[in-house]
Amino acid sequence: MPAYKFYYFPIRGLGEAPRQIFALAGVEFENIGISDEKWETFQKTETPFGQMPLLEVDGKQIPQSFAICRYIASQHGLAGKTPFEAAWVDALADQYKDFNNDFKKFFYVQLGFEDGDKEEYKKEHGIPARDKFFPLIVKQIKDNGSGLLVGSSATWVDILIAEAVSRIAENVPGFFESYPEIIAHQQKVHSIPQIKKWIEAR
Amino acid sequence: FSAISQSTMPAYKLYYFSIRGLGEVPRQILALADVKFENVGITKEQWPEFKSKTPFGQMPVLEVDGKQIPQSFAIARYVASQHGLAGKTPFEAAWVDALADQYKDFNNDFKKFFYLVLGFGEGDLEAAKLEHGIPARDKFFPLVVKQLKSNGTGFLVGDSVTWVDVLYAEGSSRVAHEVPGFLDDYPEVLEHAKKIHAIPQIKKWIEARPV
Repeated sequence: MPAYKFYYFPIRGLGEAPRQIFALAGVEFENIGISDEKWETFQKTETPFGQMPLLEVDGKQIPQSFAICRYIASQHGLAGKTPFEAAWVDALADQYKDFNNDFKKFFYVQLGFEDGDKEEYKKEHGIPARDKFFPLIVKQIKDNGSGLLVGSSATWVDILIAEAVSRIAENVPGFFESYPEIIAHQQKVHSIPQIKKWIEAR
Repeated sequence: FSAISQSTMPAYKLYYFSIRGLGEVPRQILALADVKFENVGITKEQWPEFKSKTPFGQMPVLEVDGKQIPQSFAIARYVASQHGLAGKTPFEAAWVDALADQYKDFNNDFKKFFYLVLGFGEGDLEAAKLEHGIPARDKFFPLVVKQLKSNGTGFLVGDSVTWVDVLYAEGSSRVAHEVPGFLDDYPEVLEHAKKIHAIPQIKKWIEARPV
């Protein structure tokens, strides 16, 4: 088994989905939190793109959270059982990324990372982004029929979306009231034993 | 993984508007892989009806024996990985993916300027160039040059062409064409695009393409 080191800030953010994928895969890894103080040096000397998260596999680095997720997932049967399923896992992940690029205009204000009128940003960015994206996810869950997004077992995109949903729901009360299937999916994913255990211990 | 003979090759249809945009990279990968495909151009008039038949209300969409795959990178990776164009090892494949996503991040910033160049949306072109175009360029392209130099083969990853080479070459050549001189400080990037566009199957596609 290679030696895995995972580097990110000691927050959930873009690090949480990769960590949960390791947990679900049952793969040991060193979970390294880089503090704000250490980041400036680490960024310049250690990172290929000046960003985190970063995965180190026997000393060789892989940047970019989705590349990391897919790399671990595909080595442990968590990236779809066929090339077609894998393409759908990728497509849903990229669709989520497109959603988040819009949604974060509201979410960063809601979290206090950026200035702005929360209600105004919610109306202009938060709600439209939600109502453009999540109906697609509900449809996918219904069409797929297993309670999960693709195929009959959990894939890395289930983890990605469940984490995003739980994070949003924690910070924007009632935001998914009209999307019970989304909450059901999030709860299903987070009750998978290895993920449940990770969440309880983090 | 079983070998696929010509007689069991799936029927591919790629649906997009009749422009390059997000369709060009999937088309070039199909061409590079020597895969026959129907290149379907959806007109503005046809789009509202076709939209409801797509998984996410967007294009490009790849249809494989009637089953659809949305999202341009998912399509690119799907075709590429079945034809040896997605890296030779899982580690290489991860770097192909990482570079593709880094390009996407760059483009999310850069398009705030580039869409104005192409005539989409309204705004002050010079201001957008200063605020979005130049900073995005100078944050991203040094990483590309670094990757090309450290990889040392003329390709971005490994010793042969991958789908991310096709992505970058299309992106950089388009920018260089629409904003003359914009990449002059990055000759390695322009050289890379030339190298990729000289690959016979890609050269042939570019010469014959309708747009």
